[in-house]
Amino acid sequence: MDQLLPPEIVEAGQTFPAALAACGDLDALLRLKGAFVGREASHATRLMELLKTAPKEQKRELGAAINGLKQQWEEGLKVRQAELEAAKRKLGALAASWDPALPPPQPPRGALHPLNRLMDRLVDVFRPMGFHVEEGPEVETEAHNFDGLNIPEDHPAKASSDTFYLAAHPELLLRTHTSPVQVRTLLRVAPDLAARGGIRFLAPGRVYRKDEIDPTHSPMFHQVEGMLVGHGIGMQHLKGTLEYALRALFGPDTEIRLRPSYFPFVEPGCEVDVSCPLCGAKGCRVCKGSGWVEILGAGLIHPNVLTYAGIDPHEWSGWAFGMGVERMAMMLSQTPDLRLFFENDQRFLKAMGGLD
Amino acid sequence: MWIERKVLAQEIPAAAALDTRQLCEVLAALGFPVDGVAALEGTEALDVDITANRGDAMSHRGIARELAAKLQQPLAPIATGTVSEGAALVPVRLEAEACPIYATAVLALGEGITPEAVQSFLRALEASPKRLPAVDASNELLLRYGHPTHAFDADAIHGAVTVRWAKAAETLVTLDGVTRTLTERDLVIADEAGPIALAGVMGGDRTKVTEATRRVLLESAWFEPKVVRATARRHSLHTDASHRFGRGADPAMARVARDLLVARLQAWCQAKLIGAWTSGAVPAPAAPVNLDLTLLARVAGEAVPLEAAQEALARLGCTVTVAGDRLCVAPPTWRHDLAIAEDLAEEVLRLRGYEHIPSVLPPMEGPPEHLAPAYLLRQRVARRLAQLGFHQTVTYGFISPEADALFAPPDNPAAGRTLANPLGYEYSVLRASLLPSLKATAEQNLRQGSRQIKLFELAPTYRSTPAGPREQMALAAVWGGVLGGEDYLSPARAVLEADLAGLARDLDLPGLPTVHRLAEGLFGFEVELDALPRPQDRIIPVFRPFSRFPSVERDLSLLVDLGQSYADLHQAMAAALPAESLLELRCVDVFRHKSLPEGQQAWLLRMRFQAERTLVGDEVDGWVSAALAAAESLGAKLRA
Ligand SMILES: [Zn+2]
Repeated sequence: MDQLLPPEIVEAGQTFPAALAACGDLDALLRLKGAFVGREASHATRLMELLKTAPKEQKRELGAAINGLKQQWEEGLKVRQAELEAAKRKLGALAASWDPALPPPQPPRGALHPLNRLMDRLVDVFRPMGFHVEEGPEVETEAHNFDGLNIPEDHPAKASSDTFYLAAHPELLLRTHTSPVQVRTLLRVAPDLAARGGIRFLAPGRVYRKDEIDPTHSPMFHQVEGMLVGHGIGMQHLKGTLEYALRALFGPDTEIRLRPSYFPFVEPGCEVDVSCPLCGAKGCRVCKGSGWVEILGAGLIHPNVLTYAGIDPHEWSGWAFGMGVERMAMMLSQTPDLRLFFENDQRFLKAMGGLD
Repeated sequence: MWIERKVLAQEIPAAAALDTRQLCEVLAALGFPVDGVAALEGTEALDVDITANRGDAMSHRGIARELAAKLQQPLAPIATGTVSEGAALVPVRLEAEACPIYATAVLALGEGITPEAVQSFLRALEASPKRLPAVDASNELLLRYGHPTHAFDADAIHGAVTVRWAKAAETLVTLDGVTRTLTERDLVIADEAGPIALAGVMGGDRTKVTEATRRVLLESAWFEPKVVRATARRHSLHTDASHRFGRGADPAMARVARDLLVARLQAWCQAKLIGAWTSGAVPAPAAPVNLDLTLLARVAGEAVPLEAAQEALARLGCTVTVAGDRLCVAPPTWRHDLAIAEDLAEEVLRLRGYEHIPSVLPPMEGPPEHLAPAYLLRQRVARRLAQLGFHQTVTYGFISPEADALFAPPDNPAAGRTLANPLGYEYSVLRASLLPSLKATAEQNLRQGSRQIKLFELAPTYRSTPAGPREQMALAAVWGGVLGGEDYLSPARAVLEADLAGLARDLDLPGLPTVHRLAEGLFGFEVELDALPRPQDRIIPVFRPFSRFPSVERDLSLLVDLGQSYADLHQAMAAALPAESLLELRCVDVFRHKSLPEGQQAWLLRMRFQAERTLVGDEVDGWVSAALAAAESLGAKLRA
């Protein structure tokens, strides 16, 4: 049979499977297809011409052989094309595929300062009990910072070794606590206190004392002041409110403890301890093994403070507390150095702050 | 103050039975927390924290009195010898009301030193014994009974002793060797040659007791607390004596302490009493204070029986009489802090224990108030900035004059914002702007290797006014470093001014604030918080209908001069377009390349149109041509 065909076509036919396999892409396959079964100058067209000129008695056999060859080639090309197309589709799919392990673009993430975050949380905790926020200036008068708070004329805190004063305005100072907000607020609401039904508020803010900067001292720090004025307010209401708030803050199993203490603007006065939120009151380094940590100072508003603001202490009474924000933040986070809160290293802010 | 346990037990024997932990708990419950415990040879000392109102507790006797009241256990009697007073050997004249009583004695000293037990007591309390019995005895009495006394060298005193106000510019060399220039508000003990002691604060050098002293004149007096406090502060001379007199000593102890001092010197160094006498008298007590049961019940949170209150106050040494439903209370001579009914209520509660106070939520008497808009605005802005990747900073409100000058406007002079007594020069001016602090913080972060720094601060800035610094809440943001380039989708590029402009727009700032180039690749702006739009009252805005017809978008690529103002071009083009159909006109690309004609850049302007009908091509083409003509009138050319 092969002797009927030209030897170069026989040879090409023999190398066809290898050539087919060598086609790495559809373009190469197309070229191969053209060479074998193309409409012009292909092996197939040459065979068809051969068939035309073949002696009549050979035509039948030769025709069958040529058809067989063509069929074989076309079949082979079709299969290979399908293979190549599948491979291409697969690559395309891979190219479009997503590896979830590759680091994705990160939406930016910033943070509130941890001290602000803590103050915001305190406001959130007191909000359901009807407390709002009052604010006051940081540059204050001696009257608001000291006199209105029953702090005696010769109190050591007034000394220039403790309190910053303005050079051009000797009567002005940087407030040493958030308590002047009490005085301002009481003075403002005194005329319509009855119509309001008393008042209850928090006063978060920055305060200043003349302390050198070291791991536990800062000339600027934050306090949150709380105050409530109403009818018949006693120590039980202070205890009830703080118990609610500190449980909201530290968890429902939190216990609080009041101990007598002294601040000129309250009477009776107390320190408030909370069962150590870090060890569950079992005793740890933070609570020095006692199971309690001191969290704030408080008491019933001194009658002189109410009187100063024009509020009759026989009709009205109330409580007040003051809390050191840095102290609480350091306790909760166990940050070893107060200065970290004011250095504002982005790594610290990212780690300690958040968005809530 | 350090309290030594063995001596404490001498004052209240029942305290010996308590272990340290129990003792600390009882003291804390009384308002005297123990800050530390020092183990000593054969005993312990407690570092007891005593609040400023309780000068009476600043001694072993004082703490023992508190324990006795709480534990309902007896105090040991004070063992005074019998000193019989006689005529004054030296005239003692009290010329100021600030010293109502002055008990004294003169003794001839014999042989002998301070007993070892007393020396070790003094050492335990960090008071170094001087081995001079008259000095050590005075110190021991002070720590034990809380009443300061003083011993003068009697032979160094010239003539009569007077307690009087100092004369202006009079001087006194105090025991510490310092020459003090006195004022007319300093109370002194003086002899005929001048002052020999600052009353209640410190003795003088000229009359001090030394090894050579043969005869001593003892002083056990009472001085007005205010006067002692003022003198101690004026001369920066804070002593054990000034602390106790300054917080109020017990005038009734004047004679007792004198007697105790005499007895000690007799026992320790065979001193012979030559004479003892007292000038003046214990001042009349303050008027009794009434405590009515209604007030007590209000403070305590529950009714307290009259008898219980009476009994508690009596245990503290008060003289209590009952008048109907109120108690009439005369405080003991050692308590100067019981001036009003609330003070007495506190004492009743303190002895009962604060743990018995009930826990009650205060009832609402009126509607709760809203949070102030300014406060809500700050919360909203802070959260938005944090969402955008910014970190909130907290920096000091005072900075150095140089840093302040960087951003302080000329009409805000630093003089009106300068502290009289700053921590240091670098913290001396209340800042006019937050930017200096943020710039320093950002640079510090970049130095430490931050790739990108995004910071903001919400804090007051200060403006000098004749009435003092006026505070204005400000917002400042800084942004610098490299943006992106940290994942396979976001290309890296430097942060630019335009990023700050975008931030300002995100915050709805009215107009673009000045964007400062703070350093290479670091930018920032600052605005007054009042400039920000307030949160809207309306939860959801009024509905405004919008077109449901498709919008048409056209781009124009324009060649413009490098100096071309975008605002001018935008305004000119917008003016040429039908306002009712123009949805948006914005530059969406700026192309600057050497392939463009020198001095020119290409801006791609995108226009979006929409109307209450389907827009047809010809109509839009006409608008675009008009916009192009407007641009061309400013020198722009259509880019081929
Ligand atoms: Zn703990």
